[in-house]
Order: sequence, then structure tokens, then C-alpha cells
Amino acid sequence: MNIFKMAWRNVWRNTRRTTVTIAAMTLALMVEVLYSGLVLGYFQGLEDDLLDLEVGDVQIFAPDYLDTPSIYSAIQDPVPLLATLNDMGYPACPRLLGGALAAADESSAGVALRGVEVDLEKEVTLIDENVADGVWLDSADKRGVVIGRRLARTLAVEPGDEIVLLTQAADGSIAHDLFRIRGVLLGIADGTDRTAVYMNGEAFRELMEFPEGVHQVIVRRPQDVDLKSAAQAIGQVATGLDVKTWKELMPLVATMLESTRGMIVIIFLVVYIAIAILVLNAMLMAVFERIREFGILKAIGVGPFYVFGLILVEAGIQTLVALFSGLVLALPGMWYLSEVGIDVGSLGGMNVMGLAMRPVWNGIYTLDTVIVPIILLVVIVFCAVLYPALKAALIRPVQAMHHR
Amino acid sequence: MDEADVKSVVKLEQVTKVYRQGAVDVHALRGLDLTVGKGEFVAICGPSGSGKTTALNLIGALDRTTSGEVWLEGNNLNRLNRQQLSRLRRDRIGFVFQAYNLIPVLTAFENAEAVLALQGGSAARRQERVMALLAEVGLKGMEHRRPHELSGGQQQRVAIVRAIAAEPAVVLADEPTANVDSETADNLLEIMGRLNQERGVTFIFSTHDSRVMDRARRLVRMVDGRVASDSKS
Ligand SMILES: Nc1ncnc2c1ncn2[C@@H]1O[C@H](COP(=O)(O)OP(=O)(O)OP(=O)(O)O)[C@@H](O)[C@H]1O
Ligand SMILES: [Mg+2]
Repeated sequence: MNIFKMAWRNVWRNTRRTTVTIAAMTLALMVEVLYSGLVLGYFQGLEDDLLDLEVGDVQIFAPDYLDTPSIYSAIQDPVPLLATLNDMGYPACPRLLGGALAAADESSAGVALRGVEVDLEKEVTLIDENVADGVWLDSADKRGVVIGRRLARTLAVEPGDEIVLLTQAADGSIAHDLFRIRGVLLGIADGTDRTAVYMNGEAFRELMEFPEGVHQVIVRRPQDVDLKSAAQAIGQVATGLDVKTWKELMPLVATMLESTRGMIVIIFLVVYIAIAILVLNAMLMAVFERIREFGILKAIGVGPFYVFGLILVEAGIQTLVALFSGLVLALPGMWYLSEVGIDVGSLGGMNVMGLAMRPVWNGIYTLDTVIVPIILLVVIVFCAVLYPALKAALIRPVQAMHHR
Repeated sequence: MDEADVKSVVKLEQVTKVYRQGAVDVHALRGLDLTVGKGEFVAICGPSGSGKTTALNLIGALDRTTSGEVWLEGNNLNRLNRQQLSRLRRDRIGFVFQAYNLIPVLTAFENAEAVLALQGGSAARRQERVMALLAEVGLKGMEHRRPHELSGGQQQRVAIVRAIAAEPAVVLADEPTANVDSETADNLLEIMGRLNQERGVTFIFSTHDSRVMDRARRLVRMVDGRVASDSKS
């Protein structure tokens, strides 16, 4: 009696029950696969945005800047460093940082000035593509600034309006000047949304009386270099400077993004436990209505391992069919979610964990997003079928014959 | 048959069996003595509850005695562990139950072949032997039918082939004709009788059917878990 042949026939004895069981497993697998890709895509999107628009992969500072941010803690001669990094294949751009008070007609707010080199910045970050209203900076327009979207609301300004920036210059004098809003950014991250004022580096230097040095260098890494190695390579050339990965700069966000795998697994378990209960029930029914049969098998000398194996193989066959159909059915969904994505419409830009959501939500489908749901399904079905299989294996023939 | 020629295949000595049912003890067997020799064709009769099924279960190594000994071909069943009992059932005992003997998902041939298949051995020889036996019990051409495509009598015949195919020491049949009409019962008895005479298969079966008793060459009458009378014809 070939165990697979027998199991196969047993599986199709009660077509309806088998179909329902397989359908439920199929659906669960499909949902899990699509869902895990979506969650992964969601958090990957947040991470990509954060890196592309805000922090880059690695940042370089003067040694004491992060402890006591001050206009005087600057990297004195950044040009050779930038050139070396670029030669190594690490795009890098400098930034000038300072604080100021911004005032429009009626309102004022504390702001963080970010002086950028417009042309270099384009090679390193995507912030220039992230303007909601108006346009990005132009190296020819020294008086133009681009501000965060919540700052724009606080100051009640829009592109074309003027603001006054008031600050203490590097020489200790009070400096102020008039600027014109060129653009308002899309949501990026909390701090940027509320306080950022991007301006031309030269305008910054003039306003702040700060002719030389930069405060920050933002560096991107090549795709095939991991973050740690990148930081190490950069550290080698940025001698005497403070080199920090984005994870070191934003440890909370990094941990949160990394813990997404755990969150996916928890939702998995909830869906799969429902499936486990269904499988347990179906297999228990399948075992109980065949008690007499198992009694006969045991009576004629079939061992408990065969019976145990039989039930396991029966569940295995149904799982295999479900794996196949679940994956085949998930394919179009995977294609759609990764290629087209979900238009979240007005939810786009909504703030989640201090990061702005993308307007289109794409799934990311890797081997992992498929394999993890498969493994979990197999494990959970195995657990659910253990009890019915043991029950069947340990049936005593005499009792089984009495069973009606 | 001469008494000296009879080698004992089955021997029960002062066997008792007590079932616990809640707080009460049910004494199913109260000191049963029975010896069955090779090639015998024994019917056990007696009123309902007299312990026929219980006795067959003990002989068939499906259950354990409360006290007393059961020997099968000289093996004391009390001394064997579960796995050894299972092996013994497979190799030395044939079972025919009252009804629903067959595995529904297996064909007549596969059911009949089951015990031989469990023992292993060449598929070709199995095929040859089982096909011959099926033909012998009149099931030629029905080998590929599933149990639900067979009549009750035909199903019992498949069960008989399964029971004798591996040439067991004894075939135990608990009311094998209880679920079929009298004509079919005659036919089944005729087949078992023939297998007994031509192949020397030892049969022990329980029955309520007087016609079955008439056919038996030895009739053991049980009352209250003991042998009340034992007559050979
Ligand atoms: N599993 C059991 N648990 C409790 N009592 C049992 C069990 N099996 C049998 N008995 C009791 O043991 C006694 C003998 O039963 P047994 O089935 O051997 O009788 P039987 O002669 O086969 O009867 P029948 O002709 O009705 O088949 C009965 O009183 C029965 O109720
Ligand atoms: Mg009985």
C-alpha cells in the first residue's frame, strides 16, 4: 500500500471539505505574500525617501559639531575631500547649517538654514524633485529659498512671497535680509517640514558672514557596498572628521524600520492561526470518520508510523496544492502592486513615525517575501495536523471497531 | 480426525477478561479454556454477551487478557509487546470482521493484497497469488472495483482473500455472515469450507446463525464467558 497513493485518494474522498481547506490555505498564502511585499515596500519606501531626501547614507562633520552644533564647528577645507569621495564613486555634497528667525507679515518662526551647492546637491539627493509648490533653488537666484511645508503654513506664505531671515552672523553681528519663497517642499520628515529653509550656499555665506568651510557633507554609497563598509571607506579618507551612518544619526527610525520583519510575522501568525484551526478541524473530521478504517489497518498489522505518516502526507498534499495555487494566484497581484502600486491619494504625505508617506504605495517582492509565508504555512499546518495524526496512529483496533 | 494428529494452533487457558465500565466490572470471560488444532473449522456460538467477540479479540492479539494465558502456535501472547503483537497479527492471523472490512479507497485487488503488501516481497508474486485467490472466490473481473461497487457478500469474499492470502496460522471471523442474506451466507460458508478442506486453513468464527452452526465441523457453545459445550460432528 503506497502511502502517497493512499493519501492522495483519501484527500479526494470528501471533495468539498478538501476544496474548502485548500481554498482557505490558498487565500491565506496569497494574502500573506501580497501583504508582506506591501509592508516591506512601505517601509522600504520610507527608508528610501528618508535617505534620498534627508540624510543620505553617511554624513561627515567636524569632530565637535554633533555634540555642540555651532557655526564655528566646520570642516575647513572640504574641496579635496569632496573630490576624493567623488573619485571613489561616493557622490557627496556639502551643506552649511545655521539657525535663524524667519518672519513674514504677521508671523515668525525659528528655522534651520540649510545652505546647499545647488548643482552638486542634484548629484547626491533627490530633494530638488520633492517640491510641492513652486520650484527648487537656482544657482542664479541668490535671494530664492525653498521651505518646508509646515513652515509655509506657520508663516502663511506661498511661492512668490517674501520673508525676512534674522540671525546672528559668524562675526557676532546681527544679520538680516529679505528672501523670496521659490518653492514649498512636499512632506519629508517632521523636522524638515517644520523648520527647514533651503538656500543658496553663497547667500548663506553672505548672510552669515561665513566665507569658508562647511558644516556637513552628505555622502551616498554605491549600490553594491553595504552601509558599514561604506562608512569605513569614507572614514579612511575623512581623516580627523566625524563620520556617521544614517543609522547612527537616526537610531530610533533605523530600529523601527528594522523591526518591520517582526511586525509582518505577527500579522502572519494571526492569519495563519485561523488557518491552523480550520486545518485542525478538517483533519480531525477526516480522522474521526475513518476510525473504523484505522482500526482495520491496525488489526491487519499496519504500524502506528504508517498511519501517522498517512495523515501527514494527506495534509502535505493539500498544502502543496495550496502553495501552488496560492503562488500562481498571487503573481498578478505581485505584478500589479510592484509595478503600478496603490494610489493612496490624499493619504500621501501623511506623517507616519515622523516620515512622510509616498503618494503611491508599491509592494516589493523578493524571494524572502514569498519564502517566509510558505515556510510559516508549512510549519503551522504541520503543527495543526500533529494531534489528528497522533490520534489516528494510536487508535486501538478493539476500540476502533466499537466506534460507530 | 485422530486426536493425536491435532497440533494446537490456538490455546486458551483459564482466560478471564474484565471490562471496567464506569464503576462496574463487566466479566466478559470467566475462565475460558479452548484449544483449536491445525486445520480445524470451528464455530463459536452462544447468546449475545456470552463473550464470543471478546474471545476472538484475545486470540487475535487485539486485546490483552485480565488473567490466564493465550498461546498462538506456541507463543504466549502475554509475553509479547505491542510491536510484536502487530507483527504477529500481520504474519500469522487473518481477520474477517462483521462488516466494513475493506478500505474504501483501495480496489478489491489492493484490499486483498494489503497483508501481503505489508509483508513486502515481490509484487509479481503477490499479483499472481491474489488474482488466483480472487478468481477462486468468484471475483474474477471485479479486481479493480472499489468496495462501494461490490455487494456485501462480495466485500466479505475480498476480506476472506485478504485474510488467507498470507497463509496465516488461523483466520478469525467475527460473525462474518451477519450482514448478508442467507443465500450469500451459504455461499461464504461454502467458500470458507472449501478453503479449509483444500488448503487446510484453520478457521474460527463466531455466529448466531443456525445454518452456519450446521456447517461447522466443531461447535463451541459459550455461556457467561465459559465454554458450555464443545461438540464435533
Ligand atoms: N469494550 C467493552 N467495554 C465494556 N464492556 C464490554 C466491552 N466489550 C464487551 N463488553 C461486555 O463484555 C461482554 C461480552 O461481550 P462480547 O462482545 O464478547 O459478547 P458477544 O458474545 O460477542 O455478544 P454478541 O453476540 O452480541 O456479539 C458483554 O457483556 C459486553 O457488554
Ligand atoms: Mg460479538
